[in-house]
Formats: sequence, structure tokens, C-alpha cells
Amino acid sequence: MNLRPKRTYVSSTILWVYSSFTLFLLAYMTYQAFRSKKELLSNTFGLPDTFNFANYKKLFVEADFLQYFLNSTWILVATLIIVILLASTVAYGIGRYQFRLKSVVLLYFLIGLMFPVQLGIVPIFLLIRDMGLLNSQWGVVLVLGSGLSLPVFLLTTFFEKLPKDLYESAKIDGASEWTTFLRVMFPLASPVIYSICIIMSVQIWNQFFVPLIMLQSDSNRTIPLMIMKFTNNLMFNLDLAMAGSVMATVPILILFFIFSGKVLEGVASGGVKG
Amino acid sequence: MRKRPFLWFILPGFVLYTLFSVYPIFSALQISFNRWDGIGEKTFVGFDNYIELFTNKELFGQLTGAFRNSVTLFLLNALAVLPAQLYMAYLLYSGIRGHRFFQAMIFSPQFIATPVIVFMGTLIFDGNIGVFNKLLETVGLEAWTRPWLGLPELGIFVVWVMVAWSGIGVGMIFFLGAMKMISHEVMEAAYLEGASYWRRFFSIVLPQIKTTVLNMLILTYIFAMTMFDFSFILGGVSGGINRSVDVMALFFYRIAFGDNSAVGGTMNVNAMGMGTTIACVMFAVIFIVALIQVVLTYRRTED
Repeated sequence: MNLRPKRTYVSSTILWVYSSFTLFLLAYMTYQAFRSKKELLSNTFGLPDTFNFANYKKLFVEADFLQYFLNSTWILVATLIIVILLASTVAYGIGRYQFRLKSVVLLYFLIGLMFPVQLGIVPIFLLIRDMGLLNSQWGVVLVLGSGLSLPVFLLTTFFEKLPKDLYESAKIDGASEWTTFLRVMFPLASPVIYSICIIMSVQIWNQFFVPLIMLQSDSNRTIPLMIMKFTNNLMFNLDLAMAGSVMATVPILILFFIFSGKVLEGVASGGVKG
Repeated sequence: MRKRPFLWFILPGFVLYTLFSVYPIFSALQISFNRWDGIGEKTFVGFDNYIELFTNKELFGQLTGAFRNSVTLFLLNALAVLPAQLYMAYLLYSGIRGHRFFQAMIFSPQFIATPVIVFMGTLIFDGNIGVFNKLLETVGLEAWTRPWLGLPELGIFVVWVMVAWSGIGVGMIFFLGAMKMISHEVMEAAYLEGASYWRRFFSIVLPQIKTTVLNMLILTYIFAMTMFDFSFILGGVSGGINRSVDVMALFFYRIAFGDNSAVGGTMNVNAMGMGTTIACVMFAVIFIVALIQVVLTYRRTED
């Protein structure tokens, strides 16, 4: 059965135009990062005369890119660990056991999907400030790590669908509740956890609003905030913004194209906002 | 506790989630009834903040301006981006040649941080070195070149172009996922009966994925009402020239955390009180419209 439209050239043209535009932008950014500011300002379309790493050098030496990179990485890793650990235990508790307020508890964890973080940011800010965590990465990690709604939702659905025999046989073999969870159930859920990791990673890595409010000194800010700083005075920092944008984008895009099948599958099947 | 092992599983997540995700919403409501700068004395003032938000000329002007821009964003997304997402998803669903490549290309902007998108956008639309103007010159449309970023009346549309480019892939993937759930037999039957390509789209695919379309519409609405980073990076805390790229979330940020000197100097002493008041109004605006959308569709599906 051929479900394709009869004349595909119109539709393919549209898709080609869109894709080439995206490709052009990425290529444009990548090669412009090799040109000096003077070249850039005098001739927009030009190719680099020589492959000139001065912009990157400036980024690492003067703009302290490594520091921003480490800050971003630290926040990403710590948040992911918290989210995965807490979301999987919560989801297991709800999905595996029968108790009276089960659906209420699940619903409680799902309310978070309706409230964007902006709406509660003032109390969150005050709370983090009173805990003395303002301007520390821990504040960002706690706030982002509390966003459990989506992973809890996905994992609960998974644990509920698991055949009950699995729990029973682990019990008969003498495993305690926690051993069953850690040794049997957690590994079983790894495909779901894997796609949650990918989705959350992008969200956390590119997160803008929460770090903007929580981190106030330059030395502990993240990569998106670094690029924003360069963009604020574009004519002055054009070279830094170019190299910084490439460093922030290209590695993630390469990862995406390697895993693109799995990423897209995970997002589509979860019905998840990526 | 021994009898209720699930408590130990749920408790740690419950505490963190309650503290940082649920409590702040109620706390915001409570703070909005106070006059407070966040450090000093908190004074209970009842609905005064709400009354001031709607009667203070400067504040109300900013509120309506930001709201208008947010609604514009939503309408453009709902009327232009959503159909485009459906169209692209249907093309990919029907297995057009190269669909895997297109799928990855259209989704990939999702992985680019907003500051980078805005940075590329400014490079393209810049009046002097911008690619867009050079392109217009190259094809002989010099008359159309202009400093795109310097024209207040275009501000929100420039923001929208960036939002649309970077966000189109997410909805498309949703729709594609929903389309793949449609039973193959139904599609085959329609095909054998001789239903055309677009007939199959309107009579089978669209009705089957109605719920997903509605969910996307609600998400689009919530997104437009809470969009912050594009406007903030492009226009700064003031929302650009004549507040041309101001949106609801930016207005909220400006009052709560930003420089409020433009608002008669009185807002600084009430940053947290007025800030949370705006957050509560934002929430009400989101909640009411989302509720209406949900109620309307559920009534429809019951018929």
C-alpha cells in the first residue's frame, strides 16, 4: 500500500527548504566562528580566509568558558541524579502498591504539569534565599530537581503495566522491598529512564529562567547565561558570541544526530514536551 | 511503616516536590495580598495589589501591552505553526522519501539554547550585516531592506519567527506519534476504497488525533502566556523599544526582580507583593482559558 501523495514534489520542496534553512544556519554559525570580528563586520557572507582559532582561544582564555561549562555540567549531573532517583522511587511506590489514596497521590504529582515554574518563582526565590542557597548551584539543582511531574507520570505508567508475577517471584526468592526495586525493577525500567534522561538533559542544559534568577555572580552562571551576556553587547562581543554559540550547540546536535532515532521515538511515544 | 512500604518510596520525592513545586503556588497567592519588598515588613493589604494593577495607568498599560503581545504569539502559533506541524507530520507519516532526515532536521532546533537562537536571529535580521537584507539585495528587492530589529511595530513578529523556527519540531513529533497509533487497517480500508491523500487526512487522520491537537493547542497557549527568554534576551528587562517585545512573563519579571523605576518609583517597595499579584493574574488567565478549552472538547466528544 502506497500512502504517499501522488505528486510529492511540492511537499518535498517545502521540507527541503525548511531543512536547508536549518542546515544553512548551523553551517553559517560554525564557519563564521573561524572569522575575526573585523572580517565579520565588513563582509557578511564571506568564507573564512584561514581557519583561525582566535575566537575559541579568546573564549577559553578571556571569557573563562571552561568555568561556565563545568557549572552547567555540575547542575546537569546533580539534577539528573535527583530526578531519576526520586521519580523512580515515587513512581514505583504508586505503581507497584495498592493503597487508598493512590489516585490522589498520582494526581498530586501531576498538578505540576499545569504550573509553569515562573508562576511560583517569587516564593521559590525567597525560600532558596532563606536557606542560604542563593547564588549557589545547589539552589538551581533543588528547584529543577523538584520538577518530578513528567518523569513520575511516565514511570508510573510503566510500573503499573509490569506483570504482577514479577513482584511475586522476587518476593518468593526472599528479596526485600528495596532489593526488589534496586535489583529487578530499576534495571527493567531503564529504557523509560533513558528517554527521560535525554528529554530532561536538554531541558536542564538549556534552562534559562531558573539560573538567571538564582545565580547572580558571573563565576557560577551557566552557558546559556554566558551567551546572553555576549549578546547584550553584540557589536563588542561578536567573536565571543559566535564561538560560544558553536560550543554550546554543536556538541549537543552531534549527540542528537547519533541518537536521533531513539530520541524521537522516546519523545513521540511518551507524548512529552521535549 | 512496615505495613506500608510504599510510604518510604514516595516520601522523599513528595517532600522535595511539595516544597519547591506545590507550596510556592499557594505561597504566591498569600504574598499577593501583602505589600512587601521581600526583606522588610510584610503588610496585609487584601485586594489592594489587584486593584492597583488594574487602576494604575502605567501598570495597566504595561499589562495590556504585554497581554496583547502574548495573545498575538498564541494566535500566530495556533493559526500558522499548528497547521504547519500537522501538515509536516502527515507528510512524514505517509513515508515521503527522506522522512527520517527531515524529521531529524525539523526537530533539531529544539536542542539549541534560546540565547543562541536569538543571537542567530539578530545576525540574520541586523540592518547592516544581516543575512536577510543581503538576500533581499541579491534578489533585487533593495526597497524592502530595513533594520528589522529597530522597528517596534515588527518586534513581536521577529520574536515569533524565532519561536516558530525553534519550536515547530516538537508539535510535529507529537502529531507524528499520534498518527502512528492510528490502526493500519482503517487507513488501508480507506485507501482501497479510493479515498484521496487529503481525503484520508481530513476524514480519518484528523478526527483520530483530535485529542492530541487539543492538547497541543492548550500547550501552545500556556507556552505563549509564559514565554520569557526570547523577549528578555532580545529586548532586555524593559521589553525592547516601546516595549515592543514585552510579554506577560517578562512584565512579571520586571516588576518582581527587575528595574521598576519606570513605574512611578512606588513599585520598588512592593516588588514581591505586586510581582506575585501579576503571577496570580497570569495563572488565572492560563487556567480559565485552558479549562474552557478542555470543557468544550469533552462536550464535543461526548456527542
